[in-house]
Amino acid sequence: MEVELQDIRLSLGGQPLFNGLSYTFPAASKTLLYGPSGSGKSTLLRLLLGFVPPDSGCILIDGQLLGVDTVWALRKRTAYVPQGVHLGEGKVADFLEDLFSYQANKHLAPDREAINAYFQQFQLPENTLSKAISQLSGGERQRVAIIAALLLDRELYLLDEATAALDEALQEEVTQHFAGLEGKTVIAVAHQTAAPGFDALDIRTILSGDG
Amino acid sequence: MTPWISVLYCQVMDNAVPIPLWAMLLCYALLLLPAAIAWYFRIPILRRLGVAVLRMTVQLSLVGLALVYLFRWENWWLNLAWVVGMIVFATFSAINNSELDYRRFFLPVLAALGLSSLSILFFFNGVLLDLDNVFSAQYLIVIGGMLLGNALKGIVIGISAFYQQVDQQRQQYRYHLAAGASQWEAIIPFFRYSLKAALNPSIASMATLGVVFLPGMMTGQIIGGSTPDTAIRYQLAIMVVVFVCIALSVGLAIGFSLKRSFDGYGNLRVGVFKE
Repeated sequence: MEVELQDIRLSLGGQPLFNGLSYTFPAASKTLLYGPSGSGKSTLLRLLLGFVPPDSGCILIDGQLLGVDTVWALRKRTAYVPQGVHLGEGKVADFLEDLFSYQANKHLAPDREAINAYFQQFQLPENTLSKAISQLSGGERQRVAIIAALLLDRELYLLDEATAALDEALQEEVTQHFAGLEGKTVIAVAHQTAAPGFDALDIRTILSGDG
Repeated sequence: MTPWISVLYCQVMDNAVPIPLWAMLLCYALLLLPAAIAWYFRIPILRRLGVAVLRMTVQLSLVGLALVYLFRWENWWLNLAWVVGMIVFATFSAINNSELDYRRFFLPVLAALGLSSLSILFFFNGVLLDLDNVFSAQYLIVIGGMLLGNALKGIVIGISAFYQQVDQQRQQYRYHLAAGASQWEAIIPFFRYSLKAALNPSIASMATLGVVFLPGMMTGQIIGGSTPDTAIRYQLAIMVVVFVCIALSVGLAIGFSLKRSFDGYGNLRVGVFKE
């Protein structure tokens, strides 16, 4: 899935954030957008999901103009791991069940084996499913969100500091995994470039933070 | 006509012992007792108490006066107009007591309150009581007021809880949208939460009914001359229809307001809440 930003302008709270930002993420590319805090990394991902409308400019995803008519279909082809993941209340199993109860995801409903395989890969204990989300640590919640994203098997992955709460070995494991996803487009944002495994991604600094 | 309804018809004759004016004054004089305590301990409630007692007296006297004429004229469209007036007033009151924007929510709340209370009201009067005249002031206005008063409380709790939760849990809401949820699928947890919040007080009062307190309607009917059997049937029926009316009006109010409150991307619009 190709993602194209065309001359995006956006001010938030009177502060100019993007001043004519244009960039193309080629299909199946794996990009890490690096930028200091406040440079609009999270906002850029929210733009791509239609949560924040740009003041001007347009976004083309797979050649389709992002708008009210296309955003719902495009979200069904996207997976998002937000920063400081808020997964709601209840058990992890309920959270996953909710996610795969949606009309768009029903056909993807994973079996126990697929879930356990990911749990093992990303070092989550098997009983995580029966744990309450509120009992999980930040790193565990982050891994649950990453696994949910992978189970959704989308064409486009948007990762917002998705490995920030993980230890170095896991950071590398997660990053390598996304870097190795064939045919998938990955856009990750981070405030640093030095994390283990990041060298597997195409590191770009298109966000300077000064508008 | 079933016997328990015929008993109620007798109530028109006013079986309750009337309270003469001097007794009313004596009753109000009782207020001097807590007022004296408040004055002595300098509890700052005297002014508010005075205003509240005055308002209550004037408001109820005016309504009483109006009801005397409505009962005397027994004009169907006037009775219906009175109920519609109550619905409009309840709508203002509901939005006034919430954090929500008037312009955006007036019509949805009006439609929700009107649809739910009128349909339940006519079901109660026309089907359950099988009245010859469903527009009879004695039933239309009195039961209507009861339904609206409760639906109003429910809407204030329910619709506020819904929009506040969506706003406060914005990240969770967006997460689910991003994961492919439809607008409806993404708001279901918040809908669940708000309906629960709106219905909980009624469920609690149903469960304690009779044990902790005798409700006002039943008390009034018994004093008015109804047998306890009739009074209890009415009370039970009212509890049920009030509950249904709250559930319907909260559900409809949220449903009707969705389009005005979310944009085409599923984002909560700016200006949903009062400035």
